[in-house]
Order: sequence, then C-alpha cells, then structure tokens
Amino acid sequence: MESISPFYSLTPEVKYSPPWQDLSIIGIAGSSGSGKTSVAMEIVRSLNLPWVVILVMDSFYKTLTPEEHRKAHANEYDFDCPESIDFDLLVETLQDLKKGKKAQIPIYSFAEHQRQPQTTTLYSPRVLILEGILALHDPRIVNLLDVKIFVEADMDVCLGRRVLRDVRERGRDIEGIIKQWFAFVKPSYTRFVEPQRPISDIIIPRGIENTTAIDMVVKHIQRKLQDKSELHTEALRNLGLIAAKVELPANVHVMPPTPQFVGMNTILQDPEMEHVDFVFYFDRLASILIEKALDMTAYVQTTVETPQGNKYMGLNPKGDVSAVAILRGGSCLETALKRTIPDCITGRVLIQTDESSSEPELHYLKLPPQLEEHSMVMLLDPQMSSGGAALMAVRVLIDHGVQEEKIVFVTCAAGELGIKRLVAVYPKINVVVGRIEADGEPRWMEKRYFGC
Amino acid sequence: MASKDPVPSPAQGVGPIYRPDGEKPTATVSKEVSYENVHVLSQTPQLIALLTMIRDKRTTRADFIFYSNRIIRLLVEEGLNHLPVVEQSVTTPVGRAYLGVKFEGKICGVSIMRAGEAMEQGLRDCCRSVRIGKILIQRDEETCMPKLFYEKLPADIADRWVLLLDPMFATGGSATLAVEVLKQKGVPEHRILFLNLIASPSGVAEFAERFPKLRVVTAFIDQGLDDKKYRYITPGLGDFGDRYYTL
Repeated sequence: MESISPFYSLTPEVKYSPPWQDLSIIGIAGSSGSGKTSVAMEIVRSLNLPWVVILVMDSFYKTLTPEEHRKAHANEYDFDCPESIDFDLLVETLQDLKKGKKAQIPIYSFAEHQRQPQTTTLYSPRVLILEGILALHDPRIVNLLDVKIFVEADMDVCLGRRVLRDVRERGRDIEGIIKQWFAFVKPSYTRFVEPQRPISDIIIPRGIENTTAIDMVVKHIQRKLQDKSELHTEALRNLGLIAAKVELPANVHVMPPTPQFVGMNTILQDPEMEHVDFVFYFDRLASILIEKALDMTAYVQTTVETPQGNKYMGLNPKGDVSAVAILRGGSCLETALKRTIPDCITGRVLIQTDESSSEPELHYLKLPPQLEEHSMVMLLDPQMSSGGAALMAVRVLIDHGVQEEKIVFVTCAAGELGIKRLVAVYPKINVVVGRIEADGEPRWMEKRYFGC
Repeated sequence: MASKDPVPSPAQGVGPIYRPDGEKPTATVSKEVSYENVHVLSQTPQLIALLTMIRDKRTTRADFIFYSNRIIRLLVEEGLNHLPVVEQSVTTPVGRAYLGVKFEGKICGVSIMRAGEAMEQGLRDCCRSVRIGKILIQRDEETCMPKLFYEKLPADIADRWVLLLDPMFATGGSATLAVEVLKQKGVPEHRILFLNLIASPSGVAEFAERFPKLRVVTAFIDQGLDDKKYRYITPGLGDFGDRYYTL
C-alpha cells in the first residue's frame, strides 16, 4: 500500500495508527440454514469484546423495482443469486473500514424490499465478521479477508432449519418457502455457494455443534487481537521516542505561571485540601483554560452601535464552538465549559486505558451531528500522561470529518512527552495546558474531583 | 479635553501569534497608556468579541449580564495576580513534591453603587466567601460634583487588600472620591486595586497620576469622552447599571 514519495524529506512523517486501522475481516459463507449466523454469534459471544462486530450481508440487498417487488411477494424473486447483492457498495464499505474510517451501513427492510433512508454507523471495530451465503463470492472481498470460513451442513438439515425460521420469525407460509427453496435456493447453492468451499481456509461441518472448530477460530482471532494490541502499544512507544527530540511548538499554549495560577495548582495538588475546595478551585482554573482555548477559534470583523449611537469596530465569533469530553475525566471540565458557553454542544467519547498493557481502548462514542462544520472543537481531558488517549480521541474526530486545525485539546496538566507525541502526529492542532507535570504521572485529578 | 482632539483609532489585527497577519481580523483594541500602575487585559480576539457583545445596543439584558460577567471574571483573575503570595511546597497525591505558592493576606471587595455591584458576582465566582463593602456616590445636581451618600465597609478594612469595583470609568470623579474614603478608613493606597471594564484615556491618566501606588486593572481604554453634561465614554456601552439592572 505504501507509495514512494518523489521528494526526499528529512523529517519522516510521523503517523499514528489506531488499533482499528488494520481491521481484520473474517468471512463466513455457507448455505442458507447451515448455521452461519449461529457460528458468527458464538464467536462474538466467546470473545466478548466491544470491538468485534458482525456485518450481515443481507443489509446490502439491492432495492427492488416495483416489478421485482411483486415477484418477491409471490416468492418468484431470486434472493440467492449474486445479482441481488450490492457488492460494489459492500466492497467500498469494507475498504473504508479497513482504512479506519467510519462507514454507513444500509438498513434493508424485508417487508418493503427496500433500503431505508436511515443507516447505521459502524466505526472502529478491530475485528469484523462478514456473514452471508456469498461472503466468499466476490474476489475483491476475498482479497480483503483475513480468514475465510465455510460452514457446511446436510442439505436436509438446511431446509428443515429454513422452514422453521421463516415460519416462526418471518411469518411466511410453508408452501412459499418450499417453492423458493427449489426454484432459487438449491440451484444457487450448486452454482454459487458450493464453489466458495475450495477457496475457504476453514470448513466447519455441522455448524454451531462443532465447538472444536469454533474454538479454533476464536483462538486465532484472540491471537490476532493480541498482535494488534502489541503493535499499537509498540507504535505509541516509538512515537514517544521520536517526539522526545522535538521542542514544544508554538501551537502548544502552556498557561503562564502567574501567582494565582500557581496558587490554584498548589491547592489542587495538596491532598489535605477539602473536597469542596478542590472542586471550587478546579472549576475556577478550568474556566481560565476554556477562556484561553476560545482564543483559538475564528472571529470575523463586525461594527456595532452602542446605545449612545457610537460605532465600535469589534469581532464576532464565527460559527459554532463545540466540545468533546474524553470520559470519564473530561466531564470534570464541563462545569467550567458551561460557565463560559452555557449551551455548548457537547459530545462524549469513553477511552479507557487497559491497565496491563497500558493501551488506550475506545469503548463508547457519541458525537454531535455536523461536528465537522463547527469552527472549533475542544477536546477536554483534565490530565494527559502518555498522550495515548489523546491521540486516539483526535483521530476519532478526524475520522468524523473534523479538520485537524479546528481541534483544540484542553487539559489541566500534561507530561511534556505526551504533548510532544500528540503534536508530532497532529502538528496542526492547538493544545492548551495548565501545567507541565512529570512524564507518566498517573491520572488522579478525576478521582479527586468525583471523590471516587 | 481629550474629546476635542480627533483620536486615531488604534485598529489592529487581533489573533494568536501563530496566525499570519493577513488571517487576523481587524478590530479596535484598547489604547495604550504609559503608566506602570495601569494594567490593561491582553487584547485577545476573545476579549474583543465579549466587549463587542456588551457594547452592541441590540444585545438583550440576559446576554449583557452573562457576557459582562465573563469579562469581569477575567478582570478579577488578573487583579488577584497583583496580590502577594508566599512559597509553599506540597506533596501531591502521587507523592511528588510540588513547589507552589499560598495566597497571603486578607481581601475584601468594595463596590461603588450601583453599577459596581454588578461586578460582585464575578468576584464571588473567584473568591467564594469574600467580604464586600459598599459606597454610594451620587452627583450633586447643583454643583455637578460627586458626593458621598452612604458607605458600609468591613470594620477591619485597614488590614485588608481592597478590590474596588466600578465598571465604567469616565471622568473618574466617583472612583477618586471612593479612594479618598478608603484612605480615610486607613487603607494604604498600595493595597487598593481598582477593577474596571472600560475607562476613558483622560480619566485613567489623571487617576493614575493622582494615586501612583494604587493599581488599575481594566479591560479596555476607550477613545475618549463625549461633550454632553454627564460625560459618557465613547464609544462606550451606554449606562452599565441600566443595561445590567433595568433595561
């Protein structure tokens, strides 16, 4: 994938790859009723991780024309041939996800045989299980797959399961099901599904009952995830080594150590201080940081008239300013934020650092709509140590279309190495820091603020 | 006097230093004065935008109150930096030593009624249980001179640092009288900090010369004063008390 630059550059571009960047995709194909869905769900259940998700190929059915729609209702439309699936869109979606971008997954209504106007957003999975009868059909998709699985079952069992499922869950009549089976499902199996068998890596006979095979797949994925985590942690460490050599650039704004500011920092760091005092001074200090951050936003010239009828040439803020709190600590800064912008649009992202590997993990994400149109997005985190969570949060914003130069990272205290690492990767963001602290300081401010 | 001279507008590009000049929007910033005891807040684009908001006659009272409070908090934060501190080291929650400072000395606020009272909220936002005294000064209708009508100050005010509050500083008659009252109560001049939103250049110059040890912290020094009977700062923002309390 790497292209060779025609120019020689002295400073190699420093990059951060989040763990979802090199997504692993596992394809599970097999006949209708063979137990693909159960196998996929069993794999997800065994792994029990938020970043392993199933993508069902049914979501990519093409919208039917009125004529096709009529046929479908008469059980005369072939849903089992490759033409019924929008493979182009599926390929595009998988490629986006593989690059770490967010993707919009269509929602298909089986009642209307139409794609719905809404979509589901899929973002940041580390492992994606693509499940569908033709998951291994398109060579463009096969190329993107890390593991190719073919689930097999006796055709009589398949038919039996299909009848039970369609009657129970989809409210269909048996006659129609049988008609469809012999007209489309079975011929399609011989023509398209079965030929996927030889190109698969693993064949799982007897579907869900085959715990040995499922266990093997789960173990394989766990190993892959482990490798990814190690690579991610290693990459973060390397970034630190590169970053250690650079100076703090002008877009990192460390608050001047005025007597009041240092005084407040002294109170905040004194463990003897009462909890109410800590909260009071934290809010006061954070308000100053937010005010400082607002200097980075865009302003436009304006002339206003005073009550006396005099003209004043001043400035107006341009566009919306929003904030994204990196949970849980980031919400400490919200009191100060609301004091400055009472109705500030606020998103949230929960990033937790795994204690054993010290790897940041994205657990939850809720961003405001049209975030990319705001003139400035503040990222709030009371304390930044290694910068891992910050790197990930900035990356999340960029993946959601926010321009790098519109991001302002606001923190009360940060390690110098962490900041350098952050701006080495994202040189255009602004950083507002209350106080430079020792590298690798454990996060304690949020504990103190929340009292637990 | 200053109002008779045509004053050039000190319009200049406002914006963070890292932004090239061409990308900085132009706005009128505070005039500069060369008195060591006058401190003007840093003319950041954000401060200018806040001032633009409260100068605009179309701004509603709720917004006027909110945005003037934001400027007042910035003023208080800057003002408090002129108070003394002593070194203090603490052991942080993670067991490191931190050499910091501790606030030293008692303070109190004194507001010049009525507009000065509008600044009390901002002061309380930064200093929770601060004591606040009041001084009522009105203009004598006959002589046009400021006259003391009422004062209620903390009994131990002579031992405190005083943050004197008045948002608009035109000719400075009231503020001058208020300082005289404080000095009579035994507050040394150097322990008075005058916090102000918008000042006239002539008023602030006279005040700084008359009380060389007192410190003035202001957000903006405006163009001048108009020629009406009750002289208003130009361009100013109208009557602060009316806009904050009644309009």
